[in-house]
Amino acid sequence: MNRTLTIETTINGRRRSLDVAVNHTLLDVLRDDIDLTGTKECCVVGECGACTVIIDGRPMNSCLMLAVEIDGSEVTTVEGLELEEGLSPLQGAFLDEGATQCGFCIPGQLMAATALLQQNPDPTVEEIQEGLAGNLCRCAGYEQITKAVLAAARGVKQ
Amino acid sequence: MNAVGSSPRRGGGYGRVTGHQEYLADIKLPDALHVKLVTLECARARINAIDSTEAEQVPGVHFVMTAADLPDPMPRFGPQFQDRPVIAVGETKYHGEPVAAVAAETKDAAEEAALLVKVDYTKLEDGIFSVADALAPDAVLVQDPALRGASSFAQTNIIDEKHFGWGDIDDQEAHLVVEDSFQFPMVTHFAIEPHGFMAAPDGDGIEVWSTIQHPYLLQKIMAKMLDLPLSKVRVHAPDPGGGFGGKQIPKFEPLVAFMALRAGRPVRLVLSLDETFQQVRRSSAEIRVRAGFTAEGVFTFMDIETNFLVGAYVDIADRVVSKSSYSGAGPYRIPAVKIIGRTILSHTTPSTAFRGFGIPQIGWARESLIDEAALQLGIDRLQIRLLNLARYKEPFIPSEEADGDWEQTVRTAAKRIGWGDPLPPNRGRGIAVGLKSGPTTGLSYSTVRLLYDGSAMVYAGTSDMGQGARTIFAQITAEELGVPLDDITVVMGDTSVVPYDQQTSASRSSVLMGTAVQRACFEIQGKVRAMAAKLYNVDEGDIKVDQGRLLLPDREFSVVDVMQEALAPLGGEVIGNGEMRKDKEPDHPLGGTAAFFEFNCTASEVEVDMETGHVTLVKHVTVGDVGKALNPLQVTMQDDGAAIMGLGHTLMEHYIFDNEGRVRNIGAIDYRILTSMDLPLDLHSESVENADGPGPYGIKGVSEGSLLVTAPAVGAAVREATGKIIRDLPLTPQRVWEALQEDENGS
Amino acid sequence: MNRFQYARPETVGEAVALLEEHGDDARLLAGGTDLVIELRNRWVEPKVVIDLKRIPDLAPAIVERDGFLSISASTVMTDIAEDERVQRYFPALVESAVVVGSVQIRARATMAGNICNGSPAADTAPPLLVYDAVVVVAGSDGERRVPIDDFIVGPGKTALQRGELVTAIELPIPERPYGAAYTRLTRRRGTDLASITLCAGVDADGQARIAYGSVGPRAFLVEDESGILGDSTIPSEDKIDSLDQIFYRASPSLKSLRASPDYRLAMLRVLGARALETAIGRLTKELVS
Repeated sequence: MNRTLTIETTINGRRRSLDVAVNHTLLDVLRDDIDLTGTKECCVVGECGACTVIIDGRPMNSCLMLAVEIDGSEVTTVEGLELEEGLSPLQGAFLDEGATQCGFCIPGQLMAATALLQQNPDPTVEEIQEGLAGNLCRCAGYEQITKAVLAAARGVKQ
Repeated sequence: MNAVGSSPRRGGGYGRVTGHQEYLADIKLPDALHVKLVTLECARARINAIDSTEAEQVPGVHFVMTAADLPDPMPRFGPQFQDRPVIAVGETKYHGEPVAAVAAETKDAAEEAALLVKVDYTKLEDGIFSVADALAPDAVLVQDPALRGASSFAQTNIIDEKHFGWGDIDDQEAHLVVEDSFQFPMVTHFAIEPHGFMAAPDGDGIEVWSTIQHPYLLQKIMAKMLDLPLSKVRVHAPDPGGGFGGKQIPKFEPLVAFMALRAGRPVRLVLSLDETFQQVRRSSAEIRVRAGFTAEGVFTFMDIETNFLVGAYVDIADRVVSKSSYSGAGPYRIPAVKIIGRTILSHTTPSTAFRGFGIPQIGWARESLIDEAALQLGIDRLQIRLLNLARYKEPFIPSEEADGDWEQTVRTAAKRIGWGDPLPPNRGRGIAVGLKSGPTTGLSYSTVRLLYDGSAMVYAGTSDMGQGARTIFAQITAEELGVPLDDITVVMGDTSVVPYDQQTSASRSSVLMGTAVQRACFEIQGKVRAMAAKLYNVDEGDIKVDQGRLLLPDREFSVVDVMQEALAPLGGEVIGNGEMRKDKEPDHPLGGTAAFFEFNCTASEVEVDMETGHVTLVKHVTVGDVGKALNPLQVTMQDDGAAIMGLGHTLMEHYIFDNEGRVRNIGAIDYRILTSMDLPLDLHSESVENADGPGPYGIKGVSEGSLLVTAPAVGAAVREATGKIIRDLPLTPQRVWEALQEDENGS
Repeated sequence: MNRFQYARPETVGEAVALLEEHGDDARLLAGGTDLVIELRNRWVEPKVVIDLKRIPDLAPAIVERDGFLSISASTVMTDIAEDERVQRYFPALVESAVVVGSVQIRARATMAGNICNGSPAADTAPPLLVYDAVVVVAGSDGERRVPIDDFIVGPGKTALQRGELVTAIELPIPERPYGAAYTRLTRRRGTDLASITLCAGVDADGQARIAYGSVGPRAFLVEDESGILGDSTIPSEDKIDSLDQIFYRASPSLKSLRASPDYRLAMLRVLGARALETAIGRLTKELVS
């Protein structure tokens, strides 16, 4: 039992061995220790979704888990979305549909939407709204974000 | 090139969808100390002593800054009044006001030490938390009269009382006089990016990083506080992650600057969302409106008295009061108007600019009262508005005339909502019109560099906080110089690099900075035209420039081709400067006429669950007079976003206080805003475009219009559905249910 | 967060030993969606945080055995809501699991944690009460099975003794047709903490019971003594008195930010009637099929 622990994890496809403080959240470690600052800090109570990352296929709030909990897990952050050939269809759709305004919530929106589309490649508007209800956007680009997810789903289907 | 009127991908979009966009908190200054604020669990307290001994023993802690470590008298600052101290001195005046600040090597150490700072304080019982508290004869004074200068109100909690109007309301006859009072609660900006501040010594000057919307105001304030020339204060203002007015005015930048100078190292203070909630909000207001009408529904007078409860420091709130009161009677033709607006201090979070700048508060009252008049007169609520609405070019305030076809806007909204169509049970509709003055003064400079390879750099001191200013300026440049949008870089956010801009507020940037950018492009066009004249031996006057093309009498070239030919073989670039100045008008009640008006008509249809009071937004329509949509998608984004924010204010947002002046619902759990599941079932935003605005291509400002009168439109719809008038916001299920329980006598 | 130690036991026995050793200085970590907030705000400052997620016996699992559906302590809300057997036998539990926070929260939050956290507003408490769930508790003396109604004690309090932890929650699979429905009162449609949580259940004899939370120190389960609440032939407006009998234990807080006592009491009636109607509808459907 120690106050730091070495964890083995895969982040954005890269295997990493990290010494983390046991009382630091995953969000702290991503942003402060390994410079993955794309994941954003806002409410730190799991209400806003700005810190959403995908862990073993599911979207989660990185502010609500200790970094030690991801030992052995696979983590994807917004920095891991881009494909070798460029932006992912979802990222492109966010730009085409005007889903990004100030952009601060967007990494979290993208991660929640990516997870949603992995689970449900052909979501309805209601399913998108439900799937992204944990991601607040104060610019309130909800309509455009929903359209972008729909467009990406259509694009992937084709 | 037809960049104007198109909706390209947003400037800065790549960074925003990949996580590479650097917001303030993402910038890591090497060797920075972390700052944590120490605050008290009450609003008003006397600080007896602060003991930092234990805190300073936490490993990694460098020092704890208190008022005792700052110059005496305490330096104070503010955009209107120099009333805000760098840190609380002697007394705290609102819940969350810092009394000490810890600087430490790590966040953990700073947080731990902050808990160990021992503040000996006495809670003071007679805090001012309401208008009634503030105006009571024996009320304590929130501010020391010595800070108030020669103000005749110095011995009161009133900062100022604004009087506007025309005609004599007592001379007017009326078939019907209606009067009522309404309240608008304290709401907060809730930008998803919490506020942050950093500072670092920079040789004989200082560098400051801030989430600020007004970097040049910050530069000026810092220079003054530190007695430095402007040239020695460098402000970095990375794109804010949402502003909405909340990030206009400096807050803790002076504190971190003093700490950085003491440490000789960079310091960093990134607030939590909870801390941010304690620093900014919209002013609450109590509004009494009285209005007279003829039997036909024509206004004979309007009498408005508004008490804005601002916070412990004035910030920009007194300007909010004057500007919103000035046009408080709305876009109507009214023979006599009397408006009193009071700015009243309290021991609460300092209120500041917030999208709409006081208009949502007054609009809630005025438009609700007009509905009451319509009901009593038996006139349709749309018709009474159309009847009184100022027509194009008609003066509606003595020195202001209608700058758009507002009737077209109102009729469009009415049509989209299906005004007059039969309503199913438990449904209701409402319609309201709102008007906000754009900027009354302005000064923006831009430099555009047309580079040798045909790409361009645009320097504009606007803050792109989500409205998409980068895209707009790039579109203007593309339009004027014929440079592809993807080859244009817009540089912002560094006062050492980018020329002066007064501020990013009042929906001004497309119009004012946009004009400066366009003029910079015009200067480049002129230079290239001179090059063409020389190259092709043509008289300059015979060359026209259109959308990046030079039209000679017998042939045409692109601006870029001519530039390249003229500058070969050395290369180089062509630089243009543009300035847009809207000067003060000393005799105008606001110091200047509005550059434009944001005019909006909002219409809403709701369904009310009569058992629970839940309001379902069946359809919500906003129509704005935008002059021209330079970027139609961005206009829609602004309008949808403003509408949804307005719906938050209308349906669920408000600060809840306890009796010690603490905000009980700080943070994201109990301060509710709309999520993706709370949207109107059908949200429709539309623009009226007559290219009659003062900006490039006839544009007007947008981005606030759609929240100006959200509350009265929805409130009217709820009233029609329930038969109950509700005068307080928000229209929570509980409040609607309580209204439904009232019997016909209202008890 | 204070500087605590992090323990990752690999057996229930190890976890129990740690709990015995540290008592109130230990906190159990399952999903962590409540605990991490408490840690960050220093509402709790444990010496040791015991992560249960590496114990194979507690690993996410929903298994059917001996007439029970047993849901292990690490099973998260998403898994519960998506499980076909839970959907078939316990639809009201699904309805409560799918409104716990957002998708992100439900991917992490466990039902055992929802109950052990002891919040009066815990969404899954009313359906677990209506369905007569049993909490399986492990301690140094072995295992004991506690009816959910005895397990829930008050705000932040459960029947867990020093050195005990929850290993599973078991739901008896109904042998006869049963109708149940969950509903809640919130301030918005999107994720929210409930001002009322309520579950109604009606058995094949028409006997009704209602469990409700967020209006007192804990969620209460009350049987309908009048016998009329489960009767589909009696119109809702004639059930008001009987409903009021059900809600006799409600004592909504005067200090709540979320809703006034008057409103909550009135809404108990409305939500009670609506949930009953849905429950009766479901029962009828089951009886027909």
